[in-house]
Amino acid sequence: MLKFNYKGLSLAMAFVMSLGISWSVQASDAKAPDKVPTPSAAADVFGIAVDEKVKKSTADHSKFKELQVDFKDGPAVTKACISCHTEASKQLHKTKHWNWDYINADTKQHLGKKNVINNFCTSVPSNYKFCTACHIGYGWEDDKFDFTAEEKVDCLVCHDTTGGYKKLPGLAGHPNYKTMEWPPHSGKFRPPTDLKRVAQSVGKTSRATCGACHFRGGGGDAVKHGDLDSTLTNPDRHLDIHMDAKGLDFSCAKCHTSDSHEVAGSRYEPTAVDDKGTLIRGSKDERNAATCVACHGNVPHSGEFAKMNEHTDKLACQTCHIPAYARGDKHTKMTWDWSTLGEMDEQGKPKKIWGSEGKVLYDSKKGNFTYDRYVIPEYQWFNGDVEFTLADTKVDPTKVLKINSFKGSPDDGKSRIWPTKVFRGKQMFDKGNNTLVITSLSDDPKTALWKNFDINKAVEYGMQYAGRDFSGDVGWIETEMSWPITHMVAPKEDVVDCHQCHTENGRLAGIEGIYIPGANNTPLIDKLGFLAAFLTLVGVLIHGAIRYFMHKRGG
Amino acid sequence: MMKAVVGFITGIVFVGIAGWNMADVMMLREIQSPYGVEETAARIQRNIQSLSANGWTLSGLRNPAKAIAKSGSNVPPVLLVEACSTKYSGPILGEDKTRILSILMPCTITVYKKDDGKTYIGLMNAGLMGKMFGVGDIMAQVAKDQVIFTTFDPKKPAPPLIKIKPGGGGAGGKSADGC
Repeated sequence: MLKFNYKGLSLAMAFVMSLGISWSVQASDAKAPDKVPTPSAAADVFGIAVDEKVKKSTADHSKFKELQVDFKDGPAVTKACISCHTEASKQLHKTKHWNWDYINADTKQHLGKKNVINNFCTSVPSNYKFCTACHIGYGWEDDKFDFTAEEKVDCLVCHDTTGGYKKLPGLAGHPNYKTMEWPPHSGKFRPPTDLKRVAQSVGKTSRATCGACHFRGGGGDAVKHGDLDSTLTNPDRHLDIHMDAKGLDFSCAKCHTSDSHEVAGSRYEPTAVDDKGTLIRGSKDERNAATCVACHGNVPHSGEFAKMNEHTDKLACQTCHIPAYARGDKHTKMTWDWSTLGEMDEQGKPKKIWGSEGKVLYDSKKGNFTYDRYVIPEYQWFNGDVEFTLADTKVDPTKVLKINSFKGSPDDGKSRIWPTKVFRGKQMFDKGNNTLVITSLSDDPKTALWKNFDINKAVEYGMQYAGRDFSGDVGWIETEMSWPITHMVAPKEDVVDCHQCHTENGRLAGIEGIYIPGANNTPLIDKLGFLAAFLTLVGVLIHGAIRYFMHKRGG
Repeated sequence: MMKAVVGFITGIVFVGIAGWNMADVMMLREIQSPYGVEETAARIQRNIQSLSANGWTLSGLRNPAKAIAKSGSNVPPVLLVEACSTKYSGPILGEDKTRILSILMPCTITVYKKDDGKTYIGLMNAGLMGKMFGVGDIMAQVAKDQVIFTTFDPKKPAPPLIKIKPGGGGAGGKSADGC
């Protein structure tokens, strides 16, 4: 008789159970990757779960030892940046963004922000602390700024991704490092800038970072350009088909490509005509990449729209594809009359008068303004050459002065009809010397116009600061400044309709050197046409009469 | 005799065609404004408030362009200024045969931009409409007030635009109940 071996049975059971447990553990291990919770910001790239930060960049700046510091100011951040990005500041030192200085190779005019005079806040010299809120540097507060200092380049203003970095007027390009009331006298206080957080979050430039200055040119949102304002930070497709946040979502840099930090596209030397076809990114062709043709080519229309290609030898793409500017519900400034500045309220204090659209119509510091939105552009021939009225240009006060003249004609073979915003003003000039003037507006407490309301003192100091001759006699001159309209590109269903030009008094009425069917007429051809129609009618009637009488006779 | 009948019928046809073609122009009026859309609307609002003695109150300001933009399209700016006067609406709403004219209430004045970039004011021809619907006397008064609504004094500064919700109270937010 067999004896039941309890010891053997228990060993066998233990073996089988251990196998089972082992298999189970292996099986669960095999499934482990599916069960690991992925980070909320994770994305799937080639089937591999990737954190959003990893997907966007190969470097997580928050992990950098150099940036785990409580920075005392902006230059301290820059020193940390250039400890790795060793050539960045040197590259930036060669750019227009840094120097605000530019010599036009064709006209030899000395341009750039620090040299030109416009009809908004007029000029930079003697107003550096205020104006350089939009300079990509720190500490440009007078004409002794060191343009070779690497730590003075402001990396954060272009590469911030937090939205928490702002350079305020009056701080010479610095953000606020202490709590500061902003806007002045508003009762609102802005906490110190969290430089550590901003530095650890740097990334690519965006519409918001470029727009921090370019949307606010002229002293406020939507003021200057007309086709650039804060509504482009997060636009829909009807405002801009390229930047549509839910569509193509272009950043500015998508068109305004950069090479060694020099950004394509310039208002000082614009490209009015590009007929060189598509520009392959990476090619050695150094032409402006920020043109329509650079992506869309020379023959952009096809199918039922192919006829439109016959317009491209006369019209810039923007003429049809940007039906109006300031379409994003922000009013753009249209006129500025400095000559009315200085009026005070009943208590003798500076005053502001607000308009129906909620914008300032009168400011004792600045005079009168007007605004508009959804503005139909003014059109002009333009070949890309721009001639500026500079501080030493003699002006004729009996005529409206063009601050910048767009060159071009229907006959030069290199012009197109462009949409423009024409900003009109009335501004200070030297009546004795017939020149535009440099005006001290903001910085010097004793002479600044916005602190003393004395235009003579302000101009006298401004001219002295800039080392220019001043007769002592301030006058007012009417001025115009043109801005090419090239952003806020509408989707195809919203482009300018044919009938808006092909009609009497249409959009292009008054533009010389172009024949527009439906808009233009030649009296002789009209008379010949009417004569032909009349003779045809007479012929028909005579023919009919003859047949009638012949029928009667024959009948 | 035949000639007279043919002439009469031809005349009727001619007048009918002319009337048909001119109906829109006769029933609606369009005036160009020297101001922008917001300022024009604000000045109309101020003029409406100046006629409070005739019972006029603001009853709304609509921005249909904004609604269209939200739904994914794009049109130039349009603002609808809505106003009502119980003095005029009362008698119309008090009669069964004219109560259907409540479809035209509140009185709407539209301010808009066209493709020429200029600002226009659109109004109902109150005088003609009144005659057509048998309330000529009342609407003749409305027509007179409309002239005041759209007469602007350039010496007066631009007033703020009153962003009043449609149906949400009249002048002072109290007296739009009658419309």
